[in-house]
Amino acid sequence: MTTGLPHDDFERSVKVHVTQGESHVSADPNVVMTTVLGSCIAACLRDPSTGIGGMNHFLLPDSGDGRRDGDSVRYGAYAMELLINGLLKKGARRERLEAKIFGGGKLFDGLSDVGASNAAFAERFLRDEGIPIVSSSTGGVSARRVEFWPASGRVRQRLVAVDNAPQDVRRPTPAPMPAASSGDLELF
Amino acid sequence: MPQASSISVLVVDDQLTMRALIRNALQQIGFKDVREAPDGEEALKSLLAKPANLVISDFNMPKMDGLALLRAVRSHPPIRQTAFVMLTGRADRELVQRAVQFGVNNYCVKPFTVQGLKEKIEQVFGQLT
Repeated sequence: MTTGLPHDDFERSVKVHVTQGESHVSADPNVVMTTVLGSCIAACLRDPSTGIGGMNHFLLPDSGDGRRDGDSVRYGAYAMELLINGLLKKGARRERLEAKIFGGGKLFDGLSDVGASNAAFAERFLRDEGIPIVSSSTGGVSARRVEFWPASGRVRQRLVAVDNAPQDVRRPTPAPMPAASSGDLELF
Repeated sequence: MPQASSISVLVVDDQLTMRALIRNALQQIGFKDVREAPDGEEALKSLLAKPANLVISDFNMPKMDGLALLRAVRSHPPIRQTAFVMLTGRADRELVQRAVQFGVNNYCVKPFTVQGLKEKIEQVFGQLT
């Protein structure tokens, strides 16, 4: 993680804000991907040989009682797959991918630590898929503002006091999980 | 009504996590004979060595993608009758249309639910017990 970028580097960059449920991929050295995280996770994946990188931003939905079951994990795996497939389509090589992960904070008191579940999922997914985590900042009680330059791999993170964090970061609700049949073409 | 436990399945996906999740979902439905392949090339080898009743395949994979696997399966007489269900992303409308041209039996949009996957398989085999 790098924190020493001159202020005007950021100002000159083309900013792409990645909101919950989205992922974005680029190899443009002028692009910086930004996001703000509470208990959500952002995975920044990159092929260092080609400078192709991308960021996603997701929250595992729970089943209504705080548990994260199979449907929830399938949603998380799909969020990661979308990012990985986006990178491979641009020319990244899977075996060269490396990851930096951020988020998974516990910003409010509750029975379950949603952020910890999200972080544990991301760590396990990347470990199982053989993608090394070269840097991470997860947990804690602050929100995070993350900036990721995919071409260089640089990341800048700022902790944001909970009181100053956007409302949806303080009290996240998962992006709706699309029903298995939604958007289907009726062909059969 | 066909028994899920009597249907052999080959799961094809380049992500180990996704293969494990699909296998887990199939086991919840009642399938017992489930094997895996990490890409289309390996899947084709596996099918030619030991046919399966059903292939559940991802689309985006290295070496041989899901569409190429589908075409290969349909062009090999010993395995051309294999039921083939493609897993696709929400934006893959064009892919689905091409898969239909190449003889896919059904498709399931990720992120799927266990019930959603079961319904898609039942549309091919009939209601499972």
